[in-house]
Amino acid sequence: MALDKDIHSAFADVVGEENICDDPTMMASYFKTDFACVVMPKDTAQVQTIVRLCNKYELQFRPICTGWTGVFIPGTVMIDLRRMDKIIEIDEKNMCAVCEPYVTSAQLQAELFKRGLNTNIKGSGAQGSALLRGHGPMDQSCGADDRNHLAVEWVTPEGELVQIGSIGSSDEWFCGDGPGPSLRCLVQSTVPPSCTPGVFTKIATKLYHWPGPERYHLKGNSPNYSLIEMPDNMMLRYYSFDSVEKMIEAEIKLGESEVCYIVYGINAAMVSANVTSSNEEQMALFQQISGQVKGNGFVVIIAGNSQADFAYKKKVLEAIMAETGGESLKAVERPEIGEILMRQCTRPTGAIRETMRPGGTFKSIPNMGQRDLTVRWAIGAGEAKLPLIEKGLIVDDGGGFFGWGVEHGHLGKTEIFCAFSPMDSEANKAVGEWATEQGARAVEEKYFALTMSPLETIDERTGPAVSNYHLWWYKVLDALDPNGVIPLKGVSKLTP
Amino acid sequence: MALEDYAGDMNMCCRCSACKFIPLQMVSGFTHANVCPSISRYNFHFFSGGGRLNLGAVGLEKGFNYTPWYLSSIYNCQLCGACDVSCKYGMDMEVLLPLQALRIQAVKDGQAHPELQKVVERMTATGSMVPPEGAKRGDWAKSLGLKDAGKQKVDVLYHVGCLTSYDKGMQKLAQATAQLLGAAGVDFGILGDAETCCGARAYEMGHEKEFLAQAKKSMELIKQSGAKTLVTSCATCYQAYAVLYDRFGLKGDLEVLHTSQLLADLIEQGKLQPKNDLGLSVTYHDPCHLGRLGEPWIHWEGTKIPGDRFIFDPPKTYRRGTGGVYEPPRDVLRSLPGVTLTEMDRIKEYAWCSGSCGGVTDSNPEFAQWTATERIEEALCTGAEALVSTEPWSEKLLADTIAANGGALKVYDLVELVAQATEEGGR
Amino acid sequence: MIAKEKLAEIVGGTNVGDDAATLAAYSKDESFVNELRPACVVKPHSADEVKQLVTLASETLTPLVPVSSGPPHFRGDTIPSTGGAVVVDLSGMNKIVFVDRPRRVAMVEPGVTFGEIIPAAEKEGIRLNMPLLPRSTKSVLGSLMDREPVMMPKYQWDISDPIACLEVVFGTGEDFRTGQAAGPGSIEEQWAVGGVQKAPYGPHVATWHRLVQGAKGTMGISTWVSMRCELLPKLEEPFVIGSAQLPPLMEMASWLIRLRMVNECFILSGSDLAAIFSEDRSADYQRLQAALPAWVLFYVVAGYDYFPEERVDSSLSDITELAKRLAVQPARAVAGLSAREILKAVQGPCPDPYWKLRGKGAFEDVLFLAPNDKIEGLVEIMSGLAGQAGYPVSEMGVYVQPMVQGCGSHCEFTLTYDPESASQAAQVKDLAAAATKALMNSGAFFSRPYGDNTRLIMNRDAASLTILRKLKKIFDPSGIMNPGKLCL
Repeated sequence: MALDKDIHSAFADVVGEENICDDPTMMASYFKTDFACVVMPKDTAQVQTIVRLCNKYELQFRPICTGWTGVFIPGTVMIDLRRMDKIIEIDEKNMCAVCEPYVTSAQLQAELFKRGLNTNIKGSGAQGSALLRGHGPMDQSCGADDRNHLAVEWVTPEGELVQIGSIGSSDEWFCGDGPGPSLRCLVQSTVPPSCTPGVFTKIATKLYHWPGPERYHLKGNSPNYSLIEMPDNMMLRYYSFDSVEKMIEAEIKLGESEVCYIVYGINAAMVSANVTSSNEEQMALFQQISGQVKGNGFVVIIAGNSQADFAYKKKVLEAIMAETGGESLKAVERPEIGEILMRQCTRPTGAIRETMRPGGTFKSIPNMGQRDLTVRWAIGAGEAKLPLIEKGLIVDDGGGFFGWGVEHGHLGKTEIFCAFSPMDSEANKAVGEWATEQGARAVEEKYFALTMSPLETIDERTGPAVSNYHLWWYKVLDALDPNGVIPLKGVSKLTP
Repeated sequence: MALEDYAGDMNMCCRCSACKFIPLQMVSGFTHANVCPSISRYNFHFFSGGGRLNLGAVGLEKGFNYTPWYLSSIYNCQLCGACDVSCKYGMDMEVLLPLQALRIQAVKDGQAHPELQKVVERMTATGSMVPPEGAKRGDWAKSLGLKDAGKQKVDVLYHVGCLTSYDKGMQKLAQATAQLLGAAGVDFGILGDAETCCGARAYEMGHEKEFLAQAKKSMELIKQSGAKTLVTSCATCYQAYAVLYDRFGLKGDLEVLHTSQLLADLIEQGKLQPKNDLGLSVTYHDPCHLGRLGEPWIHWEGTKIPGDRFIFDPPKTYRRGTGGVYEPPRDVLRSLPGVTLTEMDRIKEYAWCSGSCGGVTDSNPEFAQWTATERIEEALCTGAEALVSTEPWSEKLLADTIAANGGALKVYDLVELVAQATEEGGR
Repeated sequence: MIAKEKLAEIVGGTNVGDDAATLAAYSKDESFVNELRPACVVKPHSADEVKQLVTLASETLTPLVPVSSGPPHFRGDTIPSTGGAVVVDLSGMNKIVFVDRPRRVAMVEPGVTFGEIIPAAEKEGIRLNMPLLPRSTKSVLGSLMDREPVMMPKYQWDISDPIACLEVVFGTGEDFRTGQAAGPGSIEEQWAVGGVQKAPYGPHVATWHRLVQGAKGTMGISTWVSMRCELLPKLEEPFVIGSAQLPPLMEMASWLIRLRMVNECFILSGSDLAAIFSEDRSADYQRLQAALPAWVLFYVVAGYDYFPEERVDSSLSDITELAKRLAVQPARAVAGLSAREILKAVQGPCPDPYWKLRGKGAFEDVLFLAPNDKIEGLVEIMSGLAGQAGYPVSEMGVYVQPMVQGCGSHCEFTLTYDPESASQAAQVKDLAAAATKALMNSGAFFSRPYGDNTRLIMNRDAASLTILRKLKKIFDPSGIMNPGKLCL
């Protein structure tokens, strides 16, 4: 819907006419959603002013970066943060980098590599914001989820500027907690509409040592790049196991031994998607390697800080694989495949190939939590995929799920998805039902409750089963958002 | 194919934003990670490949509404194909073809850009993309004594192109090319005044009908010349004859070579011997039309196999920018004594467009110059004294932009340097 | 004000104390915070009792002050800030609920001390990432909730580590479990399917334990905490590096941590190290302090289940190279004090009397967080202020604890004084106040405010304080949870 003239004018006064669009025709480009308008601020001050205008005119808003996924509500103001794309600082002494929201993970990582540093890039891909909360292949040694955030600059739903952590009292970004309790309790971004209220305009993110090259030197042309030379202090293998239990045992031992840079538990279908450049190639490779793997498995990358360190880590890896029956997939030992995976794991760019390329869309149930517990749930969820595969409704991945240990196996991530065609209404329905059933089973059987879904899917059954968190969250939202500018689809607020 | 035929592709867009950036594996720093001039300049998502696909998908469903923003979105795009390459790193779907189809649809619906309309009308009337202003197309060849392919059969036809023919500053390219071919003993001819526009820029402007009419005229002349091989030093013309004409079934058996390819062969065969030390540090700009858009056309017809996957019968091989002409110009540069080549960050299939494609130089000169300025800045980062390319449209825009901003970076076409380096050219 | 009988109905008559001696014991501590007498002291023994207490307090608007550790207390946060308060002494809730080796996690109630959890965890082959020499009565939960720095920065991925999950009774009387513990199901139901309350995030988008940690009981009372544990090494090789200058040790520590080569890793001033290894400020202390260099970096290289010797050897060879590059000299001992002696000492709680009390009988800490490259400057500022105040700088203790895998450091200045000397006490109190201001203005981040400096610190970040007050109104609408602390 086009904005009222005065409201349009008010926004345009802030950002300039060239940075606001309320042409209804153009809103479809964003998420095929009828937004009220798209407005693009250039800095924190403009974000604040826009948010205050939203409060004044009772308009709901939603911020976006590169925006791969999310839930988007018609009639909201889309705050597109594309113009806020600066790396503010890279602080090697304190192992943190400060970025604006539209810095991509790839850009940050590329700068960090030059300095022997790294950032954990989320599995959704290196085109995503460097500030995302989430999980990715490097979780094993590079932390995950909200635990990589330090200080945060936050514009509240009322348009106030709150600088969370050390930046609130000084010019330093190294700490995100205090004084007193940490407001990082609120600072989470996930699938909207239940994302943290307000807009994050800068975040400091933890950095890690990078033992690899200062840049990947590649040859070839897209989509078939290859490393000119595999780093001589890094090694990649894919191991598969007789059983999920053995795989988890190996994962835990590897975690406890702290020898792996990456443990990335993708299944054979995902491996074959990752390293191929077309659906047909992927199908052929999947056929080939699914006959070669023993069962579930994972990618391992070892990286040594010295020759002695490298040798030690390899020795431990071999020992653990021998103990747990992990078998190395020969196809991945071939340099032309191994090095693709090396790059795709350290600069994730394979998610699209795994999830979207096969059918056009996918639906996923992710969980970040206790690995050995959630994997048991995932086995059942995978079995429940088989009838859909049989009917040709979803892409055949053998009923696979994936996941990995996080922070040397202390935590874990388990996820399962169905890839299918968005044009197939029967598939859409079947997958929706599968997701609902498996999500409900997770709750009923006490594995976990979905933490990433929009608030609207929380019903009377789930909330009370999870400490009534939703009621507390509504209260928090009410307190932070008195004018109701944060969209909450289909959910009634507690206070009138 | 009509726009409707791309419905599946347009609905495949998963909004990942990869289309805005160079293939992410190639990102080597904070700067020069963007690949799409359109969104880099205008920032709204509807200036990206993915944004336009979404518009197309919804437009097919609900009808097209040609608002000023919509028209701005589809015309402020060089159709350079970078989004297509980046998307196809991960996806099996078309991006550039639906974008072209969207523009063609707009023209069909009476929404031609007025400036582009004028250019296309001029092309139809004069056979030139560039205003002749009283000159003759073959004037550059006066006194060179070249074979007239309009009057005698030739095996090799040198197609000059509109800009090189008419622009006084660019005519030296044609002269240098002719001299080099002659020196190498290539028996070739030109159509001179009879040469006519390849029509490719009209296609990019959305005027498919006029392009086809022009293409047929051009091919007729080429057939009449008897040429088996067409050589051109214009990347746009190269892409026209090698790819577009093939796509529309007009090319036949004609072999199409860009001068960079021919020069590379001639140097390798010893028929041209660069001897003069040029003492020049250069960087090379991959023109879109020679690079990613110059990838041979793949004829394919098929249907989607019903079911879970986006696959076809027969299997569809996608053009992903892999097979463009990237190495021959580099081989030539490496063969020139005293020339050191330093690559920019965005090269080959993920090169940043110079800004001259897609009709933007005519529809929005400011945007074209902005795009060129970005490229010039990137070239300057290499420390090179000169920017070399193989596309006169790019070279002109880049040179004009440098001049307008008071810069010192030199701009050369490849053939100029080869000419300087060979005995025949001298310095 | 709650009638004593009502309290007795909840916790039992013997667990309600309102006699003068009991009240006096909770009215003050070793800090400079004003003495303030509570109305009474209750000692619950279960989470359910805590819930009932909070509900009742909320109905009667009775302030509650939770205390987990036994005395002596040093920070002032266990003293009521308002009259009519009831101190909730949680030391009677001292169950070690479980220790789980496979998932490397343990769960304890508030009254469990380090002395109790260490052997229980050791039995299972795991251990806690500990603070430096906590006093014998220090509550593990209390330490974690206070975000006390831990000695193994390698294993501190997030500043809230090693906290995994919490159970908390908010000021409304409702209980809530954070992280994985939130559900689905009760804790027992989760255990039945193999859940162990390990994952800290959630439920849903928030990370709720961060709201309670560092809050000094102003949001609610925690009734248990689960904590991630680390493996007990099979082999440990401790080292020390002495230096007259701090920067080379900071640099060395940064690289040791960045390359994940060491477990325990911290820097102590010679004065602090001497204080730890002396009975009092006698000749022993003087001799040791004189012999020790100004600064000592302590670190431990460890090997685990797989080829521990080889792991240690490869690490040591890399460390040798590193040390050469940074021109420092790792050693097994410094001034006759062996690294292994230090290791032995720091892997347990401090034997009584608490080491900081041994010198003169009292102390005041000035503690904060800072970027690594600012620490030297802040030490200089502090030394300058101490000198100006007439405080003997050589006796000032400095503890630098790198944190969160290298993202800054905790820095702690310890100013000892004779509590019988009013002038010394005043000197230290004034110095601490002046130092807080000066250090804050030079980039020190006082993330854990205590005592009289709290107002200054909290108000410096007024925007965050505003949000915290909004949250306080949600989780403690009646304002009964340790009111007055943290300006909340």
